[in-house]
Amino acid sequence: MTTKELIENLSLKPLSKFDHREITGVFVSDMLSDVMAGAKSGDIWVTVQTHKSIIPAANLVDVSAVVITSKKQVPPDTSDLASKHGIALLWTELPTFEFVGKLYALGLMTT
Amino acid sequence: MPDCQHQWEMTHIEFGFLIFEKCSQPYSLRTYFSEKSHPMLGEKYRDGKCDWTVMENAQSFLFDLKCKKCNLLEDFRNVMGFMYCTGCLPDCEVEILQRKYESEKKWVVVAFGFLPKDREHAIPAEKLKILEDYFNQRRDTSRSTIAVLSYDLIEDFSRCKGDFIHDVGMLSLEPPGEKKTPF
Amino acid sequence: MKIKKIKDVLEAEVIVGEDKLDVEVKHIYASDLMSDVLAFGKPNSILLTGLASQQAIISAHMAEFDGVVLIRGKKTKDGSEKFARDKQIVLLSTKLDMYDACLRIGLADSKLMMPESQKEGDLPKDDINLSHKFSIDGNDFASAGLASTEVKSILKKIGLDPVLIRRVAISTYEGEMNVVMHATRGTVKLIVSPEFIQVIIEDVGKGIPDIKMAMQEGFTTATEEMRAMGFGSGMGLPNIKKNSDELDVSSEVGKGTCLKIKFYI
Repeated sequence: MTTKELIENLSLKPLSKFDHREITGVFVSDMLSDVMAGAKSGDIWVTVQTHKSIIPAANLVDVSAVVITSKKQVPPDTSDLASKHGIALLWTELPTFEFVGKLYALGLMTT
Repeated sequence: MPDCQHQWEMTHIEFGFLIFEKCSQPYSLRTYFSEKSHPMLGEKYRDGKCDWTVMENAQSFLFDLKCKKCNLLEDFRNVMGFMYCTGCLPDCEVEILQRKYESEKKWVVVAFGFLPKDREHAIPAEKLKILEDYFNQRRDTSRSTIAVLSYDLIEDFSRCKGDFIHDVGMLSLEPPGEKKTPF
Repeated sequence: MKIKKIKDVLEAEVIVGEDKLDVEVKHIYASDLMSDVLAFGKPNSILLTGLASQQAIISAHMAEFDGVVLIRGKKTKDGSEKFARDKQIVLLSTKLDMYDACLRIGLADSKLMMPESQKEGDLPKDDINLSHKFSIDGNDFASAGLASTEVKSILKKIGLDPVLIRRVAISTYEGEMNVVMHATRGTVKLIVSPEFIQVIIEDVGKGIPDIKMAMQEGFTTATEEMRAMGFGSGMGLPNIKKNSDELDVSSEVGKGTCLKIKFYI
């Protein structure tokens, strides 16, 4: 599945400028330390964290996208930084637990 | 194995807490890793010549790197964490390099050793190179690359406004606001 | 959903609260941000979190949650266990990742995963169904078996009964091999619902002229070459029938074949 298909299938709102890429897995966490230790390149990272330091974390791990859940307000400097790094920053109003159900219905699995 | 092109992975991952403490007279910062959180922010205690105040508590982790091919283990217990440069001091080496590398889509992170910055806590250049290899091996480098810099390059800690890539304020019951550097 | 059921599907260890596993919870909250838990958490919930500290237990207590499940094998080391015991908060630990923990709970009780907007009103309530599709190339013996291996891996991730997984894996493998041996190309579709697993194997190929004959053990149209590789003993369809709960075979000569295999969970 590509980021394009994910956005279309789940009506996600893109908040940054980026090139589409292949999604190979998923990592759900609001802890940057867990993400740095456990997420893999190509994963989509699902979180409620919106502080701009999620972008360097996302970059170091090389996630395919960051999805902010729970209708969180994303500050402009986070989306600006995401665009600068070409990282897909996406948004959903669903809470994390319910959003996992939607990802699962699309066939997404952890690697 | 002298000829091994090492392929690195994280190992010996230990989750815990980073404690930041400050002494005002003389000004000194120290950090250390602890299994337990230290919830009493603002607590003062005397140790040696200093009155230390607990400034910050962050969720963090320690790790080592191991080569998947030859099993060579490299110790990275001295790595406190990584910081992202926010470009606050235009004369700072880190900011200068960040600006220089931007056009090459080379993104800079600073590898921090524990504080105070002394011989015991230094991270040698070879280790920084291994860290860089670790990050670059996990990505499509035709899109972008990572450069890992030493915290030696930071002009002035007390004025540095970089963002640490770890979880400050997770233990707070208040909603996350502006992150303040612990310096 | 009872806390005991959550413990079972997550293969979790009980750290505190052995005597409270019969409690029925209404909501699941997956988060590491405790300020959110306090602001948005509802009473009668379970918190899934990677934050292994007293703050997680305190927040759960203040939000009137019934328990906390620590993920990724985390354990608290700061006296939280005593606090949990005092405040009667169940504390569990699972080795699973947050995503896998959420999906196993959702599969066990899909109502828990339904968005709020769907819970009220007359909108049809969709079950949480997993669906996956794989392609198979005819005559590609080198890749034969890859689809059924993937299917097996996915079912293992979900945490289904190993005997059931074996039955599904064998049936899928036999179906996949039939496509490789007798068709030009095909697809394997895996559907998992809370009640059943369905594997649909569809191909474009020569089709089966006599399905009844094909269902007989030992009957094979495999070539010498295939049999030399160890395939085509004529056990394919009968084996699928033996391992599944429902089998539907439809075929058209010159067009292709479709197998619909169902397993009850």
